Amino acid sequence: MGWRWFHQWGSPRWFYERAGRWQLVCGWLALTLLITGSFWGLALAPVDYQQGNSYRIIYLHVPVAFLAQALYAAMAVCAVVLFVWKMKLADVAMQSIAVMGFAFTALSLISGAVWGKPTWGTYWVWDARLTSMLILAFLYLGVIGLRAAIQDPDQAGKACGILVLVGVVNLPIIKYSVEWWNTLHQPASLKLTEKPAMPASMWVPLLINILGYYIAAAYLILGSMRAIVLERERRSAWVRELVSRA
Amino acid sequence: MLEFQFASLTAFFEMAPHGIYVWPIYGLGVLVLGGLTFANARQHRRAVRMIQRNLEREETHES
Repeated sequence: MGWRWFHQWGSPRWFYERAGRWQLVCGWLALTLLITGSFWGLALAPVDYQQGNSYRIIYLHVPVAFLAQALYAAMAVCAVVLFVWKMKLADVAMQSIAVMGFAFTALSLISGAVWGKPTWGTYWVWDARLTSMLILAFLYLGVIGLRAAIQDPDQAGKACGILVLVGVVNLPIIKYSVEWWNTLHQPASLKLTEKPAMPASMWVPLLINILGYYIAAAYLILGSMRAIVLERERRSAWVRELVSRA
Repeated sequence: MLEFQFASLTAFFEMAPHGIYVWPIYGLGVLVLGGLTFANARQHRRAVRMIQRNLEREETHES
């Protein structure tokens, strides 16, 4: 066995043939979790005594905000794999994650702004957490734009990898912004090291939706990666054979 | 025991006074997830069509 599992990831064909099945499983699992978590959060979780019903945005905002940061970290891991092992699939993953990451970061910023209006009385303040999340959105846009600007995929991958690794410095800033600076944004709603302050009927649906959004992101990234693999490998024999059979 | 937290379905959709903030965000969430799923499927279909066209062109050249 050994490192075989890792080297298999170096084969776009191996990935393409399996990713369709993984995608199907992820898609149905994400749909089930998101419907359960969202219905629970919207209809069954009790009203917050301070924020009223506006807090129900938490069941979308917190998962997508987590995801926005986690996807950037995943992109950085892909960049390292690309530089160290020259794995083509890592570059494909980086390209897919950039688009999904931007979508989730934008959703996090918009849902946070809409939640902010009834809670803080304003859609936006130049608060450390909000500003560092906005920078994250620009970093994703930068990676997407840089790739679009460079024609050679290998050069584009390397340039994007460098930009992604430089941008990693923003992740601890986002995480600790609520502790380092006096911000309007509330501290983390869920921590791995502490029991949540809210009752289980409030945090369980949040946990379900966090899991659901992570699996939904996996579903979307796998789908995007399959399409990119097909485009990039269009001259290889296995793709030509696959398409001619279709 | 979990219970429906609203007196009626109308109250659920109104979420007084915050329905106007909550529902559009969930709508946007569905739109983003659906949009990305659709975009992926379209990109895949386009890639397949492009490769098929290339193969047909090559066959025409050979014959």
